[in-house]
Amino acid sequence: MKNRLRVLRAEREWSQQQLADALQVSRQSVNAIETGKYDPSLPLAFRIADVFGLPIEQIFLRV
Amino acid sequence: MTCSPMSNAAYRRYMRRFWPATGLYVLAIALATWLIPDDATANPLTVAIAILPGIGMVLMIWAMARLLIELDDEYLKMLEIRKSLAATGVVLAVASVWGILELYTDVPRLPVFFIFPLWCGGLVVGQAWNWKAGL
Repeated sequence: MKNRLRVLRAEREWSQQQLADALQVSRQSVNAIETGKYDPSLPLAFRIADVFGLPIEQIFLRV
Repeated sequence: MTCSPMSNAAYRRYMRRFWPATGLYVLAIALATWLIPDDATANPLTVAIAILPGIGMVLMIWAMARLLIELDDEYLKMLEIRKSLAATGVVLAVASVWGILELYTDVPRLPVFFIFPLWCGGLVVGQAWNWKAGL
């Protein structure tokens, strides 16, 4: 599953650590999601959507 | 809240549980080695002393189980579970293969005491598996 996490984070000038803190996960988790190594669970995907203030489908894309 | 692996509360609790258990294990092994002669028979006293290191090991296993239960970072939990699966696979494979060798040949008996250290060694295999998978 592709995602726009890196782009959205860059637009807001957030570091991976800042996003991780907002999501209450590790920086490694953010990095793994950004690089497509790990697909988050639905609850975490909703938290990501809430942090960015966007619907999930604007963050995670079908391949 | 900062949630790097080292600052995750579950890892901190794990460290607080695991190292005292390891200390108990080391002390109990030293005590048992010192107090019980090699040719001792099983009696209430020797069993009571010899079971102490086992309690230390059980506490270590409990600490690892609590880590898997309490880890609230799903990605880190996945990494730990993969390591545990790899370790379990290593133990099952070695025990099965060596067990069959023991059954049909006169290879030395593998003391069951080594199962847990072998499992812990399997965690290293699991770590390498995670690394190889780019996780």
